Amino acid sequence: MQIRSISWRKSAATAIMFALGLLMILPFLWMISTSVKRPDEVFEYPIRWLPDQLLWKHHLKVWSGPKGFALYYANSLKIAIIATVGSTFLAAFAAYGFSRIAFKGRDTLFVLYLSMMMIPPQVLFVPKFIMFEWAGIYNTHWALILPGLVSIFGVFLLRQFFVGIPKEITESAFIDGAGHLRIFGQLMLPLAKPAIATFMIIDFSWHWNDYENALVFLTESDLYTVPLGLQNFILEYNIDYNGMMAAATAGILPMLLVFMAGQRFIIEGISSSSVKG
Amino acid sequence: MSGWRKKERLWGLLFIGPNLLGVTLFFILPALFSFGLLFTDYRFANPDMNFVGLGNLKRLFHDELFYLALKNTALFLASVPVSIGLAFLVALALNKSVYLRSLLRAMFFMPYITSGIAIAFVWMLLFQPSKGPINQLLRAVGIENPPGWFSTTDTSMLAIDIIWIWFMLGYFMIIYLAALQELNSELLEAAKIDGARGWVTVRRIIWPLVSPTTFLLLVTGLIMSIKTFGIIQAITQGGPGNSTTIVSLYVYRTAFSYYEMGYASAISWVLFAIILFITLIQWFGQKKWVHY
Repeated sequence: MQIRSISWRKSAATAIMFALGLLMILPFLWMISTSVKRPDEVFEYPIRWLPDQLLWKHHLKVWSGPKGFALYYANSLKIAIIATVGSTFLAAFAAYGFSRIAFKGRDTLFVLYLSMMMIPPQVLFVPKFIMFEWAGIYNTHWALILPGLVSIFGVFLLRQFFVGIPKEITESAFIDGAGHLRIFGQLMLPLAKPAIATFMIIDFSWHWNDYENALVFLTESDLYTVPLGLQNFILEYNIDYNGMMAAATAGILPMLLVFMAGQRFIIEGISSSSVKG
Repeated sequence: MSGWRKKERLWGLLFIGPNLLGVTLFFILPALFSFGLLFTDYRFANPDMNFVGLGNLKRLFHDELFYLALKNTALFLASVPVSIGLAFLVALALNKSVYLRSLLRAMFFMPYITSGIAIAFVWMLLFQPSKGPINQLLRAVGIENPPGWFSTTDTSMLAIDIIWIWFMLGYFMIIYLAALQELNSELLEAAKIDGARGWVTVRRIIWPLVSPTTFLLLVTGLIMSIKTFGIIQAITQGGPGNSTTIVSLYVYRTAFSYYEMGYASAISWVLFAIILFITLIQWFGQKKWVHY
């Protein structure tokens, strides 16, 4: 076996980029390090990245108690899972309709969809607040789940993928007598697996990190999602920096795992949805 | 209409219908509703609502805080081109000339995907003026009076900008990497043979070739950023002295702290107008500004 020669220039570039990359993730490292330190070590300089003694009590404090992160996790998971699964189904169905069923007014309707993407969430907060009050779902998880079932971005992303699947495939199935439901379920969905995985990961992370909607539509602390729980923790213990960092770690951990497991899908999805807009 | 056509129409309705119902309930109706509220003095918990015509817009015209919010929004959005520029350089470096490419890519991309509001609190401590690690470092390298960051009005937005540059960089980089992959390698080879080296290639060939991507990133980056307020609400709540109050945050506060929902609707439509303006520039400007 031949050993490939290592280029000097390439190694130097790698070292520089690694140092810069490290700088990018330094806030995360500092957060984790601080979450296992003593209070008097928080602002010690030079920074001691590995404290002499690892303390887990801050993490315990964050997770225990009636208003602990176990509760916020349960709330966030419930909302994010229901909304992500639901919006994936609805978006996939609509994307099929927009790409494979020819009917009058379809393209106008799609333009209307796209134009809705221009409306900032701030325009919708007040009317949604009033409508949810009327409907009795203000300050319930439904106020986040129901709107979460609709993702215009998802329709856009999946339609783009469906359009890319050669028409011949579905047309020959059509001639063989398959109906739309069968073509959708047995042909398109299996082919679209990577695009669906991408969308689900992006949508889940969006719901998990959604702070603004929760801020507007939830007031009762038993209903808090992780971002609100974090804010609550910080208001309550505003000088417990170790606890704050343990709480922040708890908030980021699931996204870190999702990122490590699904990095490929996320990167492919983001690249393909944007290049050649 | 033939039977087949009718049937197709029905199928179309079946497939799109559920989603369309959601879009109608949570986008179209609220948008129309908000447009109506724009002309009223509606306040939450106040049953008598009056039609005030263009009163809210007139008030907006004389609202100093609104002008400050506009200025702050511009300062906040200034982070977008900076982040795009840095992302281009990073993508350029990661595109070919490094080992461990996917590891490095993941390191730069991580903030964008993992960071919700949690990271805001981490930055809050990092920027702590007297004892925070950033200022300790600045003092260690000889800067005697490091900035007060979130504690003073003239540096608070700078600190927000730094966080936003850091946050968006990975997103921009990923899209640049995809664009660089699609570059015509023959053209680059030809340039190399003609003697174009290093920086000249980048400036004269690569940068113009990726200009459609740069343009797209500028538009999407600006629109994404203008809709955000969570990170600012979490760290500064718009302070100190409204120095980080941007328009989107001002809408939120007017509606849900002061409960002036009619007025908040008026401000939110200004936000829409800005987004519409950026989108129109995208449509009409694409041909003019983009050089292949």
